[in-house]
Amino acid sequence: MAEYKSDPHKVWPTGLTEAESEEVHRNLIQGTQIFGFIAALAHLFAYIYSPWLK
Amino acid sequence: MIYGKIWCVVKPSVGVPLFLSAVAIGSFLVHLMLLTHTTWVPRFLEGRPAAAVKAASDTGGAPPPPVVAQKSQS
Repeated sequence: MAEYKSDPHKVWPTGLTEAESEEVHRNLIQGTQIFGFIAALAHLFAYIYSPWLK
Repeated sequence: MIYGKIWCVVKPSVGVPLFLSAVAIGSFLVHLMLLTHTTWVPRFLEGRPAAAVKAASDTGGAPPPPVVAQKSQS
């Protein structure tokens, strides 16, 4: 693990730093929120315009 | 951010596609089950029968009520 010695902030097994890990996570959460919003809107339209739950 | 350090132990190249696949497969299966285990989803997607629409337009009467207005069977 020569790379480990070169950057003490990197965490193994992935080799990402904590800041990089949190950046990945932030983007994933934001994508999930956008997906969830669009899905909720689609379900609202399905509720209004289809026989679902009627 | 809660659980923000998970990508220090799970490779994003493995974890992100796994997460997105789980969401995609889960939602696909829910909608597939709705299609195959209810009567109203296939009927709704089928739309109004073409013969009924043609008969209504020939007689000049009002078209039959749309499928969306029907009560569901299940």
